[in-house]
Amino acid sequence: MNPTPNALCFGDGLPGAGAPCYVTVSADGLTMDPVGNASLGEEAIAFTAMSVQAGGLDHDQLVVSWGEGASARTLYLKDPVLIIAFRRAAPSALMAHLDRAAEQGRRARHSHRVLWGSAVGVVVGLGLLLWFGSDLIVEWAVARIPVQWEQKLGETVYQDFLTKETVLKEGPAVTAVQEMIQRMTVKIPNNPYTFQVSVVQSPVVNAFALPGGYVVVFTGLMKKAESGEEVAGVLSHELNHVLQRHGMERIVRMMGLAAVVSILVGDQQGLLGLARQVGMELATLKFGREQETEADVTGIRLLHDARIAPDGMIRFFERLSEKDKERVELFSTHPMSAARAERLKAELAALPKQTPEPFTFEWNSVQDSLGTSEPKK
Amino acid sequence: MKSEILYPGAFPMVRVYLNEGETVKAESGAMVAASPTIDIESKMEGGFLGALSRKMLSGEKFFFQTLRAGRGAGEVLLAPTVPGEIVLLDLDGVNEYMVQKDGFLAGAEGVKIESKMQSLTRGLLGGEGFFILKIGGTGQLVLNSFGAIHKIDLKPNEEYIVDNSHLVAWTSTTTYNIEKASSGWIASLTSGDGLVCRFRGPGVVYIQSRNPSSFGNWIRQFIPVSE
Repeated sequence: MNPTPNALCFGDGLPGAGAPCYVTVSADGLTMDPVGNASLGEEAIAFTAMSVQAGGLDHDQLVVSWGEGASARTLYLKDPVLIIAFRRAAPSALMAHLDRAAEQGRRARHSHRVLWGSAVGVVVGLGLLLWFGSDLIVEWAVARIPVQWEQKLGETVYQDFLTKETVLKEGPAVTAVQEMIQRMTVKIPNNPYTFQVSVVQSPVVNAFALPGGYVVVFTGLMKKAESGEEVAGVLSHELNHVLQRHGMERIVRMMGLAAVVSILVGDQQGLLGLARQVGMELATLKFGREQETEADVTGIRLLHDARIAPDGMIRFFERLSEKDKERVELFSTHPMSAARAERLKAELAALPKQTPEPFTFEWNSVQDSLGTSEPKK
Repeated sequence: MKSEILYPGAFPMVRVYLNEGETVKAESGAMVAASPTIDIESKMEGGFLGALSRKMLSGEKFFFQTLRAGRGAGEVLLAPTVPGEIVLLDLDGVNEYMVQKDGFLAGAEGVKIESKMQSLTRGLLGGEGFFILKIGGTGQLVLNSFGAIHKIDLKPNEEYIVDNSHLVAWTSTTTYNIEKASSGWIASLTSGDGLVCRFRGPGVVYIQSRNPSSFGNWIRQFIPVSE
């Protein structure tokens, strides 16, 4: 009966996957007995005639080579018992090779383990950081994004959006909104943004600001407002989303989480699509509750600095939320809770009293220029 | 166990003869037909955790079917899910094959299957995922491919470059590195087939003549989108 093979032999005339053979270690070399291969005879190889190294996919096999040209043979030993026997019998000259081979194997396995360990550590650490300490990291990251990038990003989405909508080029509504923005922006210290505002013909009761300072006001919102101060209140809130770079924070957060996820599942194509996808999300950005609060508070302060009656926004929200909660899109992104109104009122009360300066426009005539004061039902 | 390939080509089947008491492990769902003497057991190879890790990590089916000729000798017909060739390999206890996760169809009782974690770069970039199957032991191993199977014999230190999504199996004496085909990384990632495996012998690499994910992308355009 043939012995069970414990090694594979490679060389000219042998099967590509290796010829199975039975290897035994003697005092001065190896004996190789091919199992079930007639073309290969039993062969004894002296330690002095061979060279040794580590090999195989995991560097865990002992590779013994000898001979030259057509008679060159390579033997792959995998059996640990056989490898230990070989190490014991081999002379010290060969041992140096062997030790180097073993060291290579150990180092390969070690670096493999270290690499995996650190990769898992980094991914888990990133995940944990994003989960728990995300705000700090995101703020840190956003603070390093140049304003020019932000503007480029915002402008692309802004232009995309405007080409699909009817934009009011001139008229009392445009002048009024520009006056509001002007009154507020001159009061912003160290303002890196040039705010651009467009009035879009639409019954939607909403306004939004894209990263980089691109503001869109829908005529629906202006028709619903009872005074310019109410519109200014909403705009101030939106401007502060831009100034606090809330949009960028959302984008970085989305990118960050998705990047970690795609690394976890090993999907590199996803990473590429990600950047583009996130651009699309810009227009429908929903901010977190903390960001809304921040924008509320800084928004009220900005109104105060600009000497615009700062209770307009609260009044606008309260008035609308009583009547038609469902129809006003503003509420889907700015849910007006009682607690939020209270907080705004408290913030307002803390500010020093002052006499507001009225706008130069007549709000009624601005609304009249927009057509019927009630949007289509 | 003795196997033969029926209808070689795109739509083959394997006929496995079992003596009384013999078993064959097959990918679950691979059985097409069997003699009445054959019993089907679903068995979780490597215990529950082993099976779970294989399912979660390599995407391989949770259960293997074990087909046992419990009440006398008989035969089983097995077929893979995708159109493509089948190859029979004899494992003698020394040779081991690394098999990408969809490549396993069946194996004799003595064939050992385990999930193996690849190195980070291989897992991330190789297109085979982080986990592949390491198949050793003794007995016949049946692999299937998508398209035709092509065998590449490598002499010691001989090299060959393979697009990673065409890989089916390779021997564990073969080492490989991931490389990019084009000059730039961006070009590699965007051109789709930018990453290749550079194999170094000795050993054997089995490749498939069709790329499953490319085929998937191609066929997607014909699938009606429901509103």
